[in-house]
Amino acid sequence: MNANGPATAIGHLDADCFYVSAERVRDEFLRGKPVGVLGNQGACVIAKSYEMKAHGVKTGEPIWDALVKCPDGIYIKRDFRWYEVLSRMMLEVVQNASRQVEYYSIDEFFFRAELRRGETFDGLARTIRDRIEECVGVPVTVGIARTRTLAKLISDASKPHGARAVLEPNREEELLAGLPVTEITGIAGRRAATLSSWGITTCLHLARADRTLVRRLLTASGEVLWWEINGDPVQPIHTRRPAHKTLSRGGSLGGATDDPMALYAWLVRNLERLIEELRYHGVAAGRLKVILAYKSGHTGLGQRTLAVPGDRFDVLIDVARPCLRQAWSKGQSATHMHLIAEDLAPRGQTALAFFDPLPNRIRGEDVDRLKERINGKIGRFALRSAATLYLPAIYRDTANEYDICDVRGKICF
Amino acid sequence: MCVGISLAWSELPTELIGRYGLERRAHERGGEREIRFLYRDRRPRLPIWRDGRLQIVRWGNGCLQSRFLPATGWTWKESLELGYWREIGAVPVDIPAMLGYDRGVWFRVRQGIRGILVPDERGVAVAYMICVPSTHYYQVMTRSPRMPLLIDEDI
Repeated sequence: MNANGPATAIGHLDADCFYVSAERVRDEFLRGKPVGVLGNQGACVIAKSYEMKAHGVKTGEPIWDALVKCPDGIYIKRDFRWYEVLSRMMLEVVQNASRQVEYYSIDEFFFRAELRRGETFDGLARTIRDRIEECVGVPVTVGIARTRTLAKLISDASKPHGARAVLEPNREEELLAGLPVTEITGIAGRRAATLSSWGITTCLHLARADRTLVRRLLTASGEVLWWEINGDPVQPIHTRRPAHKTLSRGGSLGGATDDPMALYAWLVRNLERLIEELRYHGVAAGRLKVILAYKSGHTGLGQRTLAVPGDRFDVLIDVARPCLRQAWSKGQSATHMHLIAEDLAPRGQTALAFFDPLPNRIRGEDVDRLKERINGKIGRFALRSAATLYLPAIYRDTANEYDICDVRGKICF
Repeated sequence: MCVGISLAWSELPTELIGRYGLERRAHERGGEREIRFLYRDRRPRLPIWRDGRLQIVRWGNGCLQSRFLPATGWTWKESLELGYWREIGAVPVDIPAMLGYDRGVWFRVRQGIRGILVPDERGVAVAYMICVPSTHYYQVMTRSPRMPLLIDEDI
């Protein structure tokens, strides 16, 4: 403890419109202009500059709606590889300033804020913000508080390019009184409506509410938030990502399709990506789920448990195929597909089964190893299943090779 | 189809701006002036680099000034490879562009666009933009089946 209060607190750092800022790092021309970064294979604005935001464009908005609101906007293809490079550089700067850093998402970190002699938390927040701008070129906002939830609320309220520490209870109260309860991550939609019916609409209302009532309304996870906004840190900083309980791959199909062969090709593509991830983490899938989202709004689900947890293409495709059949609605146009591997078991520690005769296993593993080696050398998807011949456009376009979920080590997903 | 490009004002020599009256094509975006070259202009023009020199030339033959050049502003890369343009003396050129414009979408162009320059029957230089079938991404973004052939860049 120093003379004025605690010597440690929790910091939250969030990049300001990160993807756009990252594009501006390598492209001066984009500075000061309305810029939208497009994802979902070119269909959606996944990040926008403050200039574009001023025209009313929202994140997740389809490009054709954004064009109406901001016809002068400049649209750019996302490049997650580049964003990851900058993200790791930002992480390094924060790690130089703190012994405990959580890589929460590609542009968001939590860290233990520790004061050195003569330093203040406000000064520390400013130092980290300015150091990142100087070393990486990305503008960020830093908030420091007694807990993670408060630190995040402070940085969100200080955007853009803010640096602020709030540790005194009376200043916290002031801040909480002015923020709607939906500003807290984890409170939205139904939860917000439930709280509203009890007259809890601001963060301060929630902090002042009876703890047992909050637990009853929002379960144990809501009670955690209650403790946190009252200044009791109950959520630790994770310096390493906890082991995955599930792994998934998938996303938009780049337009609606009811063609079963195209859906099968997408299934194979997503499965190949999922296998990459299973192998990276050294786990095998015990259960596989295929989820199809349709244009009509409904979803189809297919799932199977594997006789033996597996990560081999020949084994998993035999399981994925009937899952797709189960999830498929004939004549309906699907827009998204997700593959989820559950009941993950450590690779190589699963009992061998009679269903998987030795010659099959050897052949399957040989093919997978060869594929991995060739793709490792020449490039991702250089060698892939012939089923994906139905998706030539996807493989012609290098933008489809790398996704946000391929950034490893971050906590959020 | 890419129906326009934009260049930062600072990218063009003042002499060219004056000679071709390009001030009329100036627009401001984010506090920076740029010059737009649109195919729908009354007199469509394009900047090109030829033999290390920046020139402003006529863009295509949409106004039918020539009786023997195709009445368009674009050509397929494939038709170039088939030698169609060689017979009429076409030479490859680079079209400098900071942004391209297709079906209402302004998209960033990093290096420029490939084009060709051909003389019409009066010897006037006419530029055509080279296009290729759209990538999946470009097609989703612009809903256009063809995209400009970009220099050392994939969209």
